[in-house]
Amino acid sequence: MSFRTKVFLSITATVVIAVWIVAAVVSALVTDSFERIDTQRTAALVGEFRHQFARRSDDVSRRIDAIANSETVQRLAVNLSGPQPDTAQYVDEASALAREQSLNFLELIGPDRRIVSSAEWPARFGYQENWLADNTNWSRGVFLRTEELADGSALGLVTVRTVKAGDGVLYIAGGLELDKGFVDTLPATEGMQVQLYRNMGAETAGNMPPSRLASSLIDEVRAQPRELTRTGVASSITAIPLLGIDKQLLAVLLVESSRAELVSLKRTIQETAWGVGTAGVLIGLVLSFWTASRVTKPLRELATSVQEVAAGDWGTRAAVRSSDEVGRLARDFNHMTEQLTEQRDRMIQAERVAAWRELARRLAHELKNPLFPLQITVENLQRARQATPEQFDDVFRESTQTLIAELDNLKTIIGRFSDFAKMPAPQREPMDLSSAARDVARLFDAQIHAPGRPLVEIRFELEENLPSISADPDQIRRALSNLILNALDAMPRGGRLTVRTQSAGSPGRVAIEVSDTGDGLTAEECERLFTPYYTTKQQGTGLGLAIVQSVVSDHKGTISVQSQPGKGTTFRIELNR
Amino acid sequence: MRLRACLWFVLSSFLSCSLWGETRPRYGGTLNVDLSMTFNSLDAEATPLVIWHLTGETLARMDARGVPQPLLASGWQREADGRRWRVSLRADVRFHDGELLNSGSVAPILLAALKKTHGDVAITAGGSTMVVESASGLPNLPAELADPHTAIVRTNETNSLIGTGPFRVASWEAGRRLSLAAFGDYWGGRPFLDSLVVNLGSVRATGDVFDIPLASPRRIVPETARIWQSAPRELLAIVSQGARPELVQALALAIDRGPIVNVLAQRKGTPAYALLPGWLTGYEFLFESAPNAGRARELVSSLRPVAVTLSYSPNDSFAHAVADRIALNARDVGLALQISPNSNGALRLVRCSLATADAASALTTAAQCLGLEDRPAVLDNSKPETLYQAERALLESNRLIPLAHLDSVYGLAPRVHYRDPGTANPITLHFDDFWVDP
Repeated sequence: MSFRTKVFLSITATVVIAVWIVAAVVSALVTDSFERIDTQRTAALVGEFRHQFARRSDDVSRRIDAIANSETVQRLAVNLSGPQPDTAQYVDEASALAREQSLNFLELIGPDRRIVSSAEWPARFGYQENWLADNTNWSRGVFLRTEELADGSALGLVTVRTVKAGDGVLYIAGGLELDKGFVDTLPATEGMQVQLYRNMGAETAGNMPPSRLASSLIDEVRAQPRELTRTGVASSITAIPLLGIDKQLLAVLLVESSRAELVSLKRTIQETAWGVGTAGVLIGLVLSFWTASRVTKPLRELATSVQEVAAGDWGTRAAVRSSDEVGRLARDFNHMTEQLTEQRDRMIQAERVAAWRELARRLAHELKNPLFPLQITVENLQRARQATPEQFDDVFRESTQTLIAELDNLKTIIGRFSDFAKMPAPQREPMDLSSAARDVARLFDAQIHAPGRPLVEIRFELEENLPSISADPDQIRRALSNLILNALDAMPRGGRLTVRTQSAGSPGRVAIEVSDTGDGLTAEECERLFTPYYTTKQQGTGLGLAIVQSVVSDHKGTISVQSQPGKGTTFRIELNR
Repeated sequence: MRLRACLWFVLSSFLSCSLWGETRPRYGGTLNVDLSMTFNSLDAEATPLVIWHLTGETLARMDARGVPQPLLASGWQREADGRRWRVSLRADVRFHDGELLNSGSVAPILLAALKKTHGDVAITAGGSTMVVESASGLPNLPAELADPHTAIVRTNETNSLIGTGPFRVASWEAGRRLSLAAFGDYWGGRPFLDSLVVNLGSVRATGDVFDIPLASPRRIVPETARIWQSAPRELLAIVSQGARPELVQALALAIDRGPIVNVLAQRKGTPAYALLPGWLTGYEFLFESAPNAGRARELVSSLRPVAVTLSYSPNDSFAHAVADRIALNARDVGLALQISPNSNGALRLVRCSLATADAASALTTAAQCLGLEDRPAVLDNSKPETLYQAERALLESNRLIPLAHLDSVYGLAPRVHYRDPGTANPITLHFDDFWVDP
């Protein structure tokens, strides 16, 4: 993850978390405050309902009292007291009396509990009102009752009065409807709504279909009549059961307080939080870019310089733009590269000197060996000329043969150095690596099986159908020859030489390995193995593996060595097909 | 003792004379009539009989026994087995415009009226005699001649009603007020009253005569008023307009007619079980049946739930109240009956005037009023069994539910007097026999 991304995420996370915390706290405070006010408003409305209910009850009582004391009712009572009461002429009286007293319901009911006159359902005269029998001692109380109507029923706030009529009583039952008009008189503030839902068996009836929340609340109250409050997303609803004289549930008053204002407020808070959060993200983005440009640009430049140095460009310098830590880092980097360059130059110089010294040593060593016989031979010739001139011819002949042999030896040595110096460019042609390996190994059969030499077993692990490669066969054979020779030299006490060809791990490449079971090499030896003129042998020139590496390199291949002291060494060459 | 007897005689004579003086008819004065109903034209269909017969007269009239008697006609003679009738006209009868009544003026009016029921009727006029013929027969022509629809009335060039009755139209404000003036040249003698003012749509009971409607608007009848009640002369019935017969039967069994008559009609009528009232036919009791809610419930349960509507006239508050009660009775047996004013319900509540003492004519009128397509053929009054069979067939079709036969009730102020004709079943008041105290 880049520094810029980290800076961006840090700033964004800081801003977003801060905004979220503030928004959550404000939202919680607003909700709490709103719900407190909502509870107060609901309580006030419920109180007003109870007040209006009581006021209407008083109204009903007063009006029914007036009717009970009216001349019409008294006349009816007298009529009913007679031997053959004729109530037919009173059939319309309830309507007239109800109109006079502005009552919605009024029934004049005879001692036999048959309706003499009904205001709410005039056609019901003569029908019995059996519910009156449930209470023989009507108090002056007002109660709720479901009044049957021609087109359904209505919830009434009613009371009953009795007037003596002969041996019996005349019942005056009437009241006011608890309807939308009554509900509308309640001083509901803005956002509050009062609904009256009547309990009608399996159903409820109201001015409008209840919401889902209200519906479930009504069901709860119907199951167990009690005051309940439920809060939903859009509103909070308080349900008040309205019971009849026998405590049966007749209706449910719902006081619904809209939470739209709260929802709106919370939405505003949320939107503000989102806005601030988004602004924070944008600010984070800008800040991260700015910070990155201020902080990471020098670092990126420094990183680029490091990569260039790693790529071999030792002259690269990091720009020093500030005097802070990054600036000091750039200065130190430049100082370091300068030091490294100086050290490298010194090392190259030293190595060059060492190489020349080694070359001189080798040359001296190689040349000294044939020169010493030459010197001895020439001195022998001089001494033989002076001391034994008669034998001089024989000595001369032997000495010249020796001189020629040593000169050839010198010529060979010089030829080797010359060959190494002018390695030709590979002449590529298709070749079978496995057969080349087998052929080269067979050249060493005579050496391997020379009398007195410890046994060296040769094992070929050559992959059949190994694809041919494009390479210079002479150079490859020469490289293989050097490796096999080295392997044989590494096993003076005998052992096993393994030549292995196979497809390399990478597609289109083949590999050849030459392993011995000699003494192996140390890690340091492995590191210096391909250095020209470096040898671990007493008689080596140090050019063999250097030539191998040169050949492999010219074929765009790779050479590696694996060795463990005491267990042997394996050289592996990978070449492109 | 003789003196005492003499004093007793004088006192008795004085009291008798005084009483006679109070009840003796006197000429003059105006009779104010308040009617709760209204009408907008003076033709026979719209105008109530109580007013109509003051201006228009028929050739015959029904007596108390329901037997046609000559009125504008002086007599009639049945010929050709009732297919031809020779009708003689009363002499010296004048229309309100002074024209003398003769066959030439009567024939076109009568022909137009009879054509409505007898398409092939033809009238030959000659002097004071008319010959009325019909190939299909006119068995009850005298009774038909007593029907108000065959009244001999016409209109003049100002569209005023011209009849031969004891009163002529003095002024007419449609739907509001009708003023009648005594017709001095009335062939039966000038009426006692000089004039008669009819206030229409009046809810007051302050006139000399006022009707007492069956339902609201209520009127407070003054304690001093006398009540006059007609014989049941109006049929209240439910007629089916496509409702299933089983449903009609169930409803008929559910309805309790007693409360309708006794309470809603305030006993101004009798429960009806037939189209024609018993006083007119004498056989209505044969159709009597008591409500049977159990049987009605069985019938209703066999019907799949249907929405049935009972319609009634929107201006008739009495019909509304009756419809409400019927809906309540129907609900008691599980029948959902909707009531609706002025709509084409499957059931219709109908009030039909039977203002005639002729049973056959009344049955025809009732069938016509109820909108029955298979109304009975022209019946012969002389064969009551055919009348019974015809009415029975109508009732057994399960398309009718007779509910009540209703009376007309009027209140009369103390200053109003009239000659009691002694009729057992009076159909209507006859203001031409009224007089008033000054």
